[in-house]
Amino acid sequence: MSLQGAAYKTQAAGGRIVFGVGARVRRKEDDRLLRGRGRFVADIALVGMRELAFVRSPVAHARILSFDIPEQVRGQVFTWQDLEQAGVRPIRAASGLPGFKVSEQPPLAADKVRFVGEPIAVTVADTRAEAEDLASQVVAEFDELPPNVDMLAAAAPGAPRVHEHWSDNIFLETRVGQSFEKDVAAAPVTVSRSIRTQRQCIVPLEGKGLVAHWDRQAEQLVLYTATQMPHIVRSGLSECLGLPLEAIRVIAPDVGGGFGWKGLLQPEEVIAAWLCVHLDCPLRWMEDRREHLVAAANAREHHYEITAYADADGRLLGIDADAWVDAGAYSIYPFSACLEAAQVGSILPGPYDFPHYRCRTFSVCTNKPPIVPFRGVARANVCFAMEQIIDAIARAVGREAWEVRLLNLVPPEKMPFDNITGKHFDSGDYPESLRRAVAGIDLASVRRRQLQGEPDGRLVGVGFATYCEQGAHGTAVYHGWGIPMVPGYEQVQARITADGGLELRAGIQSHGQGMETSFAQVAHEVLGIPLERIRLVHGDTGLTPYSTGTWGSRSMVMTGGAVATACRRLADRLRRIAAHLLQARLDDVTLSGGKLRSGQADITIAEIARTWYLAPQLLPADVDPGGLEVTAGYKPKSDHGTFSYATHAAVVAVDAEVGLVEILDYLVVEDAGTMVNPAIVEGQIFGGVAQGIGTALYECSPYDDAGQPLASTLMDYLLPGFTEVPAIRIEHMETPSPYTEFGVKGLGEGGVIAPSAVLCNAINDALKARGAIVTDQPITPARILAALHNAGAEPPP
Amino acid sequence: MSTASPNARLVSLTVNGRPVARLAAPRTHLADFLREGELLTGAHLGCEQGVCGACTLLLDGEPVRGCLAYAVACEGRAVTTIEGLDQDEIAARLREAFTAEHALQCGFCTPGMLISARDVVERLPDADDARVRVEMSGNLCRCTGYVGIVKAIRRVLEDRKAR
Repeated sequence: MSLQGAAYKTQAAGGRIVFGVGARVRRKEDDRLLRGRGRFVADIALVGMRELAFVRSPVAHARILSFDIPEQVRGQVFTWQDLEQAGVRPIRAASGLPGFKVSEQPPLAADKVRFVGEPIAVTVADTRAEAEDLASQVVAEFDELPPNVDMLAAAAPGAPRVHEHWSDNIFLETRVGQSFEKDVAAAPVTVSRSIRTQRQCIVPLEGKGLVAHWDRQAEQLVLYTATQMPHIVRSGLSECLGLPLEAIRVIAPDVGGGFGWKGLLQPEEVIAAWLCVHLDCPLRWMEDRREHLVAAANAREHHYEITAYADADGRLLGIDADAWVDAGAYSIYPFSACLEAAQVGSILPGPYDFPHYRCRTFSVCTNKPPIVPFRGVARANVCFAMEQIIDAIARAVGREAWEVRLLNLVPPEKMPFDNITGKHFDSGDYPESLRRAVAGIDLASVRRRQLQGEPDGRLVGVGFATYCEQGAHGTAVYHGWGIPMVPGYEQVQARITADGGLELRAGIQSHGQGMETSFAQVAHEVLGIPLERIRLVHGDTGLTPYSTGTWGSRSMVMTGGAVATACRRLADRLRRIAAHLLQARLDDVTLSGGKLRSGQADITIAEIARTWYLAPQLLPADVDPGGLEVTAGYKPKSDHGTFSYATHAAVVAVDAEVGLVEILDYLVVEDAGTMVNPAIVEGQIFGGVAQGIGTALYECSPYDDAGQPLASTLMDYLLPGFTEVPAIRIEHMETPSPYTEFGVKGLGEGGVIAPSAVLCNAINDALKARGAIVTDQPITPARILAALHNAGAEPPP
Repeated sequence: MSTASPNARLVSLTVNGRPVARLAAPRTHLADFLREGELLTGAHLGCEQGVCGACTLLLDGEPVRGCLAYAVACEGRAVTTIEGLDQDEIAARLREAFTAEHALQCGFCTPGMLISARDVVERLPDADDARVRVEMSGNLCRCTGYVGIVKAIRRVLEDRKAR
């Protein structure tokens, strides 16, 4: 148990009015956004700025034979030849895992195109419309090659190779665990499933976008870009452009959602950065929605073959799995092409305790856009697969699925628990989250309702899924993957200003998570400075310490921890100056409510700040010359990250005539440790669940046999809207992490992990009476009708 | 700017109560006209396919998609953007309710969301949750799961009823 977390709770229970950790305060960033006065990248206009448009490959796999560029526009059109001659290098994101095959991605295709939408030329004009006019005049001649569209076919011997010098189309094969057939030979229950998840687009409401220019006075390339990781974009640009890091400044302004899509170095960023220097003028490019849906259809396409062994009660004896991830044509910077599949191998066992496990994974290279880790990364798929398996075992042993879950979940008395793949579950009561979900969704009444039948003839079903989510990943695991980025200490600079305000500078980037508020709450908790006098500077490599950025549910744990650490150091310096000014012993000086006190005497932080800045003659002789400004680094006490967890439950009604699904009730019982701002926590869960509902029922980027993407507008790529997302209910549990400041755990991705599993299990519960079963997402009306059509007299396996 | 276009036309309209006359190419949509020409960047472009609603504006008091309206087709009409609603009574209540209910995260969909919500509050004083959801279904949000937005709109409706 974290004493810090417990202590905080005591204070809150004592009736103190709190604005610090645990308070549901309103967000500092809201007012500007509600008045349309945020500054997103498309809102930035520089004098003399011109616009870019991209010529993109219309074919999935082909050699480029030639370009036909009209003479009169030659100075406004650029291809890889121009960049290569200038020394621009391809994007290269290798992994150190043995056997990883390295792809090189020229920002503009060189001799070959490998997916529809791959940029092959860039045009420059005064407006985007005119740049697009130019792009339409550029003609490329192709020698088409057979495309790899399906990952299983691409992984088979003899498939045409995406990268011709490779021996096959496998970026990486990994193996976890041992064969255990003889151990489970007598297992009373064996269930097998083939499970497929579809390719998705991430679709933040704001696409990617950038403004690039050369700052003549700073002698620096300045890139404003819609990114989650400005420091990593800077590292990648430095590698591709050959510029030293100090000659590059990357700034993320207000960013309109990310969810992973803004967590990579984009080819367009490299191209614009080079071109603005080459042309000596500011350049802007905004990804339009068609570009996003076509060239960035890049997430969550998995295939699983799983066999599970269990005893007659449903207790898991072993899981044997093969998993394929369609990683697309190139390895992206910094996460690489193998992170997702490698993660499948390590997290497929979920929150369960069982003795035998084996998993092979394949990161398959195909003629589709490169894969990017979408919120939850592999977890949404893994949960979809594993939770179907639990339900399948329950059917085989004739028990309620929640009972089989309960039998296999890691119990609280085993915490902290090292699972079969070495994941260190830090704390919590997983079974209790399930029991609360069963009670909260009122399983008994759903079962009664099923017996009675619905007046409208629809089929009602109920489903559950439990997961745990690793957040704030540590150094060792990323070092092990050997990708271009390894998270270490997260740093924050904290500075008390002469008038008693506080500036926090963090290399992380907030794009909806409300960090301007939650970090201020942490600082307030330590220093007592009012929230309105605390300002977060973030997302600018010129103003902030290095950070790997916002990903992997890490910001509150890592940067929040660094804020607390930095503020405690400031508190110590304040106390030392206060002791001198109050003529008190250091040990007698305490800080609370923004005041330093000794006995009856006190002095405000603002008065000490005035002394440091404006009346230094009054300072003690041995004052710390670092003043009221510190940089502090932070890591949790454990390198294994944090493990939040939840059980989700849903009740659905399925119309067997037309295949439509209505979500009648949706409940989340979650534990993310100490909540800094419960409103923000709930917002992350609501939004995650909505995205998970999209994954479960609607979102899909299909490709035809020629590798052509078939969803290129938001009329084809269906996002869940107001009428598709129900009034989600949340119940909190709050088990502080033993390893982090205040006991917080990362939870930003959590909401999205379980919905597709929950809804699949609920739909299958509804279809059970008709002997039908669905295993693939999205669970569209067509899939449900096909399952009903194919249902035999025999109950499903 | 699209003013360089040889077939640009002078468009005269009212923007947030202020007369504006500016050249626009026939293909320039209203949101670009306002964002690039008038530096009114509150209307956000989320899809330019008429689906997401982030660019929703008021044209003669009615919500329209800024990406689907051509500037040249708005001659003589009155446009209100989010920036023009600073003093508006319903918008002020919605802003208060949106922040109280945590109805925004990244804020990109928010201006369009507020303009549509204002229209719902004005037209449908008795709307319940289900009606609010149907009426707002032309606006997409990728962050909030809509829970806070529905609560915020209902809060404003209830407050206005109670007055």
